[in-house]
Amino acid sequence: MTRGFVMVAVVVILIGDVAFSEENIPNLKDPTMIAAGHDLFLGKQCAHCHGADGRGGINLTRRVLDPKGVFQSIADGREKSGLRMPAWRGVLSDDEIWQATAYVLSISQQSK
Amino acid sequence: MGKMTLVATVSLACLLCTATIALAADPGTEDPNNWPQYNRTTNAWRYSPLDQVNKENVSKLSVAWIAHGGDITMGIQETPLAIDGVIYSITSGDRVAALDGKTGRELWSYEPKLDPLVKKVLFAPYSRGVAVGHGMVFIGTVDGRGIALDQKTGKQMWETHLTDFANCHGCNFTSPPVIAGDVLTFGSTAGELATQGKIFGVDAKTGKKLWEFNTIKDDPHSWPGESGKYGGGGAWMPGTYDADTDTVFYGTGNPGKDFINSERAGDNLYTDSIVALDPKTGQLKWYRQEIKQDVWDYDSPYEVMLFKKDDKNLIVHMNKSGYVFVLDKNDGKIENIWPISDVKNFVKDIDKRTGELIGRVELPMNQETLICPSTFGGRSWNSGAYNPKSGLWYNNVLDFCGYLKPVAQKDDPKDYGTGHTGSNDFGRLVLAPDGRKPGRLDARDPFTGERKWTYEMDVPGFASALTTGGGLVFNGDPLGMLRAFDADTGKVLWSFNTGSGMRSGIISYAVDGEQYILVPSGWGSYAALLLPPLFPQLEKVPAASTLIAFKLAK
Ligand code: HEC
Repeated sequence: MTRGFVMVAVVVILIGDVAFSEENIPNLKDPTMIAAGHDLFLGKQCAHCHGADGRGGINLTRRVLDPKGVFQSIADGREKSGLRMPAWRGVLSDDEIWQATAYVLSISQQSK
Repeated sequence: MGKMTLVATVSLACLLCTATIALAADPGTEDPNNWPQYNRTTNAWRYSPLDQVNKENVSKLSVAWIAHGGDITMGIQETPLAIDGVIYSITSGDRVAALDGKTGRELWSYEPKLDPLVKKVLFAPYSRGVAVGHGMVFIGTVDGRGIALDQKTGKQMWETHLTDFANCHGCNFTSPPVIAGDVLTFGSTAGELATQGKIFGVDAKTGKKLWEFNTIKDDPHSWPGESGKYGGGGAWMPGTYDADTDTVFYGTGNPGKDFINSERAGDNLYTDSIVALDPKTGQLKWYRQEIKQDVWDYDSPYEVMLFKKDDKNLIVHMNKSGYVFVLDKNDGKIENIWPISDVKNFVKDIDKRTGELIGRVELPMNQETLICPSTFGGRSWNSGAYNPKSGLWYNNVLDFCGYLKPVAQKDDPKDYGTGHTGSNDFGRLVLAPDGRKPGRLDARDPFTGERKWTYEMDVPGFASALTTGGGLVFNGDPLGMLRAFDADTGKVLWSFNTGSGMRSGIISYAVDGEQYILVPSGWGSYAALLLPPLFPQLEKVPAASTLIAFKLAK
């Protein structure tokens, strides 16, 4: 095993272990975080309302979004223009909500 | 009892019985000035016999009053009731109000304090109506309670917790109860939930729960192994109470997980069925399953219409697949089965005599399969309307399809916001393969399916139609247009922009000799969330919660 590989493995384990709170923003550009977020986006049926790629009924790709705002929308739900998104606080862990946030930011305008 | 009183009682009873006989001769016309229950009459026709507004003068309809219903979240989905000049309305968050039918002025309002879990669950915060009887207004709430209010004041009389809201994946009530004499029946949501859907019988006077009927049959042939535990079902639309046979009929919801049948290799009773229940005991009198082992989300909660034809008592009932089942009211025996559209590929056909699904299309895992009609159905849950004068049944037909893709999903009844569907979405919507218009208002014979006229639409209708003794059909569309049609020819006679889309029920009533048409307008529901990829026009439709009453200009 090369030294480089070990370093990467350590970093991955660290990210896996550290629990991030709502206040403590993790690295949302991390590809493993984004990938986990996309799995969650599909598995939790965010895709029902937002489409598998975020371009569905409520299109998320045209928006300019910020990390804390996205976290809060997912955690507490949203009612906007008569449409309602359910709340996931307590159902998803903070870590999972950050993963979903990482994915949403990766497809929104902010990250481009 | 003295002799005189006895004679008086007997003759009074006889008067009542002649009145009843006279009414029975003309079904659908009783109590003409009112809209006393969800589908107006016990035969569920959505027919108002009022004829002051008719083909000649409908173009003179004008706004009598406008009232704001309340919170706009998920739009306004109700069919309001009108009884002796008072409108009973329910809007988002189970807010109930009584309004003066002549002016729209609010007489009282009531808003329950809802369980905060409502924010997390799949089906909230909308309701499709209230029920009125025994001097009370009854609602089923989005947190699983039955509540009774004083009809005059709106004061709460009783409440009963019916569903185990936190432990049934958020199963709740999005429709009003049915009044079956002294008993109320409440049907729960369940089709997309990891639970077993129930129908509850409750004493109307006290709120005491009398019985519950499990829409998931306890039978290993129907549900192998553990598969029935989260079988879904439920009955999320109001049923029909038939006093003649003292029976309440309900259409039930789909089995779970919606798109995966590998673990439930039975017929999955009593999902996608009509069940005939004794309202006093909850005993099952008979059932007729329409879709066996459903994987396309074709549940059966739609209105159960009653007819007498050639001395036969019949039920006409549409399943979400767009197939219409004509059944014997007494035992559910099949009289005929016909499809509302030829945009269907989930089966080759359904056998007209046995009801067997012929040539069903299964859904391979992790792969898209094109299925017609889409999960919105050949028609949505909004009722059709039948006019005894024209002999025609009017329905908003949905002629579009969807790609369904089943994927493995872990059961998690505490994940309230995620549907127990075995999929990432409700299907990727597409137009029909032949590129036809995606929707139309259809006028057909309810027994044979023969079509008399049709009106095509670029965006299909998702509201319940109204038909009247004036020879009219009223229909609203998601872009906000309300139209009046000639019931015999389908010609558009009048239209009006209500300012928001319609997902509700249009009614008619009369006060002080004047006929009103009452239209709830306010786009919302899952349709508003899921349709824009196929109908981009809908992205711009503003939400609302408005009641608009029309009458003839003086
Ligand atoms: C039942 C439909 C529905 C589901 C399921 C759903 N959403 Fe939403 N979502 C909405 C609606 C409605 C909005 C608000 C629309 C608006 O802001 O215009 C929204 C908005 C958002 C926003 C934008 C917030 C902003 O600040 O503009 C994000 C991010 C989001 N959703 C993420 C998610 C994620 C992640 C999931 C899955 C965990 C999810 N949604 C599940 C309906 C849904």
